[in-house]
Amino acid sequence: MSEIVVTGIGIISAIGNGLEQTVDSLLRGKSAVGTIRYLQTKHKEIPAGEVPYSDEQLRKMLDIAPDCNITRTSLLGQVALKEALKTAQLTEKQSFKIALIAGNTVGGMEKSEQYYHHFLNDEEYKEYIGLHDCGACTEMIANGIAFDFDLTTTISTACSSAANSIMLGADLIKTGRADIAVAGGTECLSKFHLNGFNSLMILDNEVCKPFDKNRRGLNLGEGAAFLVLETAESAARRGVQPICRLSGYANRCDAFHQTASSPNGEGAFLAMKNALEAAGLTPTDIDYINAHGTGTPNNDESEGHALMRIFGDKVPPISSTKAFTGHTTSASGAIEAVISILCLTRGFIPANLNFSEKIESLNFSPVTEVHTNQNLRHILTNSFGFGGNDSSCIFSKIG
Amino acid sequence: MEQLIEELKQEIINALNLEDMTPADIDENAPLFGEGLSLDSIDALELIVLMDKKYGIKLKTAAEGKEIFKSVKVMAEYINEHRTK
Amino acid sequence: MSVYIQSASHISIQEPLSEKWFTEPQIPEENFNLSIEPDYKQFIAPIEARRMGKLLKRAVTTSADALRKGGCEMPDAIITGTGLGCIENTEKFLNAMLDNDEECMPPTAFMQSTHNTISSQVALTLKCHGYNCTYSQQGFSFDSALLDAFMQFQLGRIGTALVEGHDEMSPDYYRMLGKIGYWKKEAANTEILREGCGVGSISGSSSVAILLSNKLNNNTLCEIKNIITLHCPDNSEIKTALENLLSESGITMNDIDAIVTGLSGDEANDAVYKEVAANCFNGKPLVWYKHIFGESFCASAFGIYIGATIISKGFIPEHLLYKSEKEIKNVSNILIYNHFQNKNHSLTLLQTVKG
Repeated sequence: MSEIVVTGIGIISAIGNGLEQTVDSLLRGKSAVGTIRYLQTKHKEIPAGEVPYSDEQLRKMLDIAPDCNITRTSLLGQVALKEALKTAQLTEKQSFKIALIAGNTVGGMEKSEQYYHHFLNDEEYKEYIGLHDCGACTEMIANGIAFDFDLTTTISTACSSAANSIMLGADLIKTGRADIAVAGGTECLSKFHLNGFNSLMILDNEVCKPFDKNRRGLNLGEGAAFLVLETAESAARRGVQPICRLSGYANRCDAFHQTASSPNGEGAFLAMKNALEAAGLTPTDIDYINAHGTGTPNNDESEGHALMRIFGDKVPPISSTKAFTGHTTSASGAIEAVISILCLTRGFIPANLNFSEKIESLNFSPVTEVHTNQNLRHILTNSFGFGGNDSSCIFSKIG
Repeated sequence: MEQLIEELKQEIINALNLEDMTPADIDENAPLFGEGLSLDSIDALELIVLMDKKYGIKLKTAAEGKEIFKSVKVMAEYINEHRTK
Repeated sequence: MSVYIQSASHISIQEPLSEKWFTEPQIPEENFNLSIEPDYKQFIAPIEARRMGKLLKRAVTTSADALRKGGCEMPDAIITGTGLGCIENTEKFLNAMLDNDEECMPPTAFMQSTHNTISSQVALTLKCHGYNCTYSQQGFSFDSALLDAFMQFQLGRIGTALVEGHDEMSPDYYRMLGKIGYWKKEAANTEILREGCGVGSISGSSSVAILLSNKLNNNTLCEIKNIITLHCPDNSEIKTALENLLSESGITMNDIDAIVTGLSGDEANDAVYKEVAANCFNGKPLVWYKHIFGESFCASAFGIYIGATIISKGFIPEHLLYKSEKEIKNVSNILIYNHFQNKNHSLTLLQTVKG
């Protein structure tokens, strides 16, 4: 079966707009989690990783008219999608079949929660009723691109949505249903999400401390990222240099609890194990792991045990980058895939910020300082969602 | 106290959506979690909301709840002492 | 590689967990129609039901029913389409947030508002660690789920899959969608829907679980030959896709007995079906189902369910035919054509496994 390669990547999050700003922030080791500026909420005491642009600024960036109805989730999605298409040199439609797959959890909720009383009681803002659902967000992202996609769909598996989108993209290519798949995820901060995670009492009131013994919870973030996937032959045909390979991936279910992860991380273990098998790799081949590492007591311990089951006492260098960006929920699988690809191609391992003490039951500690000049061949990245939707992807160097 | 315990049982049934249960089915001395009703972490969060909404008691962390939600009786005693409404 | 539909189960505005709709449908008399609920206690213990809204109960119940009928204990994959997820819980959380000014928020409602709760609840009930995914693409959500399942079979990763479509309609969401033309303004009936003038349809509620397998058994309803998807196609693209679909299965349009469509009574929606029928379907009879199941984001799951039921029973009853025609007998090939707002389109070919 032909190899799936990545030929384009695009990203926007709290740590920056675009690949260069993202790398710069990761190398400098500076968290972008801080006080909420744009989201209208009374819970300003809760920090988050907010993209440092207002809707108006994002519209301007994208040249979208003020009277065009669009949600922030779609604005962020368009920014990342355009960068991904640009790096893949996809500016116009040629004779290929191209699919767009976006991960998304609450769709246009950020607008619905503002206009809900109007939706119910009068005619104002009714255009946004049809933009509430997840699929509408993906259509709005597609609308911003000069050419038509041959397939658009949306995956909604909570915090693993974007990882599953990447997998679907690869499968569409492997089964000959698409020549090129643009896959990723997008999610903006919403009052709904902030209050939802707050009701589960898993938000930290300070910047999160993934894998630390005294971790208290996660910080929400927002952003979007997309990857352009195709076969090596397709890239060669188009005269585009592949960035890396998507060498393996798997989706498994923890089937343990509606929100909590199992103590032994069964779903995570199966996802990593099957991704390694699909890639034809052994655990010792993995040079860096970008962990799901949300900073909640439950996730990090469960993920840690799953990692120990796979890697034994030789857990490779590992970090969670969520203290940089916040947990970007549905987008996180793609945001962390893009970060992993940047690590792979530019040879660095980002720090796991705010770590000081190891979790007692685990045999490893994350990387606490940025490491540059690394020769990384294979990177594993994990994305786990509520309901035990656990997915893992492996990106590998070309050649 | 007896009255509060009875009231609390009904509130718990409503908050946790325990269909088919009546206050008489709940032993006020039995543990709410683990054995007994075998409730879990999400139920604990719902009980925290109940404490806030009905009795004006704000718990900061889920861990705090663990001690208080040992049984209906322990819960009632805590409410009796700390309620603000 | 072959993919078969082994069994299917539904909870909807027709008699639940039953095939009574096939011969004696209840004709909806309202534009807003509530699902008919079965007795869930047979399927779900009360302690487990405490954190299941109606949609989750329907999902767990239809899944259990489909697995039982199909003789399968544990599927290799669970893939769900849902346009809105558990919208009643989403609204509960949203209302609490707006009414209580972001205080005392109910965690259970939030948890259930996440769309993947449905697929993961089914997995949790079955203790199924296999592939688990959820699609939310408006009226193309179920089609996406079916496409994914079909690919997992093609790639040799699975031998069985539950493919599901679940959507509920709340009174508030019904009202909101009414403002943007989803429903008929006046009380509608089958005749009004058939005329197809003006905007809107009638609303339904869809919970459908379908069991797929790569192995034929005595209960197999039909084979799924393939599903083809298109985005914003013109008629010639649909025609080419259809010709490819038929020729790879070794048949022609002449072999197709009928086309199952999403005709709903909404003028713009129906115009697309009528135009494609005129240009691509050679005057073959059209089957519809939204006049008895209503419109919802996952209504297209009924398209597959109805196609499979028709093939397994071998005939199409009169009430399912869009133009009043006599019952059609000896059915062996059914094409299912669905589109959502003329954006996402799908063509699925079902074939008999008999003789």
